[in-house]
Amino acid sequence: MKVAEAIAIANRSAPPNARTEPVSLLCGFTPLHLETYVKAHLKLRIPDRDIDLKTGLFGDLAGNLERADPGSATAVILEWPDLDPRLGWRHSGGWGAKAAAQIPDDVARVFERILAAVSRLAARGVVAICPPTLPVSIPGHTIPAQADAMRLELDAQLADFLKRAASLSGLRIISRAEIDANSPPAARHDLRLDLTTGFPYRSAHANVIAAAVVDVLYPPPPKKGLITDLDDTLWRGIVGEIGPEAVSWDLARHAHAHALYQQALAALADFGVLVGCASKNDLAVVKKTFERPDLLLSAHQVFPFEVHWSPKSESVARILAAWNIAPDSLVFVDDSPTELAEVQARYPAIECLLFPTEDVEGIARLLDRLRKLFGKPSVLEEDRIRSSSLRTAQEIPAATPAGNADFLHNAEGVITFDAATNPHDARPLELINKTNQFNLNGRRLTEAEWRARLEDPAAFTLTVSYRDRFGPLGKIAVVSGTIKNRVATVDVWVMSCRAFSRCIEHHTLKHIYEKYRLERLVLAYTPTDRNGPLQQFLETFTPLEPQPVQIPRAAFSANAAVLPHSVTELP
Amino acid sequence: MTDRAARLTKCFTLVFPGLSPDQAPSADAASVSAWDSLHHITLLTVVGEEFEIEMPLENLEDLASYHGILNYLNQNC
Repeated sequence: MKVAEAIAIANRSAPPNARTEPVSLLCGFTPLHLETYVKAHLKLRIPDRDIDLKTGLFGDLAGNLERADPGSATAVILEWPDLDPRLGWRHSGGWGAKAAAQIPDDVARVFERILAAVSRLAARGVVAICPPTLPVSIPGHTIPAQADAMRLELDAQLADFLKRAASLSGLRIISRAEIDANSPPAARHDLRLDLTTGFPYRSAHANVIAAAVVDVLYPPPPKKGLITDLDDTLWRGIVGEIGPEAVSWDLARHAHAHALYQQALAALADFGVLVGCASKNDLAVVKKTFERPDLLLSAHQVFPFEVHWSPKSESVARILAAWNIAPDSLVFVDDSPTELAEVQARYPAIECLLFPTEDVEGIARLLDRLRKLFGKPSVLEEDRIRSSSLRTAQEIPAATPAGNADFLHNAEGVITFDAATNPHDARPLELINKTNQFNLNGRRLTEAEWRARLEDPAAFTLTVSYRDRFGPLGKIAVVSGTIKNRVATVDVWVMSCRAFSRCIEHHTLKHIYEKYRLERLVLAYTPTDRNGPLQQFLETFTPLEPQPVQIPRAAFSANAAVLPHSVTELP
Repeated sequence: MTDRAARLTKCFTLVFPGLSPDQAPSADAASVSAWDSLHHITLLTVVGEEFEIEMPLENLEDLASYHGILNYLNQNC
């Protein structure tokens, strides 16, 4: 992106009534084009917001951090002169032995000051730190090819600082490897601009940093599931022709790309990604292959197996139904362009990826693409139990609450309501920003907005967890709003699709009425393309027009389902 | 208006959104209130991108007007 394009994007007007998104861009240099690029990337990532981008004072990164508003998203762009001016190009205070001896101690003190400041910001907002991307200026006494002691000491201090910072909840470190991959080190520093204006970056480098900052502060929603082909994708060979023992994924038979792919899928499954398979094959042969002990992806990590001779798009349809997710949350991998095209034609929103059978380098690109599509800031307990709970869901009758009442009574379900407001718990916000079907209005929140809500004394928030004799579902719902005069106005209510058909939504309403002694609920309901399940539930109690939807307590009591579960409440 | 002047006008209206295409040819640092040192650098960067030329950052006075920049482009492009 050129500076001109970035200006054009940054200058776009926000939609009418757009919510303001406060963002701090803090560095010790003149932000110049970096500010423009960050604003442009923010506009592209969160186009429904009015971006309020604040910057700090020149030459005072630590002070800027100490003065910053802790309620906003904060990008910290660290460069060596912020730690000691002698490490930059605009200072002429000496590069000799005395400086080399002093600098590490001075840098250590500034690191401590910065760590204290970002700790304060990360306690209430989300902070992204970009480690130094430019080299230190001080030449030292060695030839360029030999590392000198002072640089090694600075690198060690930086690594220690980043490790400590990364352990803070709400703080994320921008990957230097990602910056290196997209911005050649020799083409980063603009000495002419640095000396003239105090802005040290070439435009292309500023663009790379800005893109990384926005990716880390506002990560795109990760995909939820991956459907893989088997023959010449999960393994090399056509298993129906050569048999389970002859398909391969090893170095000796030049099939190692399949081993890399298998272990990548196994890792994704560990991190909560749903992995299913769609293969034109004989199911018995496939099952036999999955019994091989050297397969790096276990059968229990794959659900469901759609193995038959029907079109792949039919398999995909059945898997989408089993997982209860939308096509735009799905990735499909196959070695056949024809199969990919057939699935893509029926589901344009699915990300279809070709497995690179004849391209050794291609497997690295594929794995990098999967990391981009499925990566997320943290792995939660709910991620680990997602697949098993979906298998269990297949056993629950998909019927009305009354129709599966017997099943639910025997399920020994326990619902736990938690009114605590823990800003370090990432699960409620994940639910709010991932859930589509049981979602009151489709409204998404940034981390800063969520944390501000948790600190608002007028707001209430309930997280809902569920377990039964089939296992735990973890935290599966969030309700949030305000209460005044025995009337609750709810503007956030989401529930995971894994929790459908269990009457948890009925329990939730009953709990809210009782806990807060309400006479009426006002729901900031907005119809969306996907929140049909929520609409159907609300229509049990009240018409959806006019809005906002209101449910008097009597209307709830008269129409609520029989409530089958035990309820506990955390203090 | 020449093609070069039209492209320069586009650069001006991008960097100074308050400026209309008609006003751009008479713009200079004194008459455009938003024209500070940072906008000046941004303008020269955008002009440099548009004409694929590295604009000088030192002789600010010569390039502190539409005409000054157009003259520079006429001599160096």
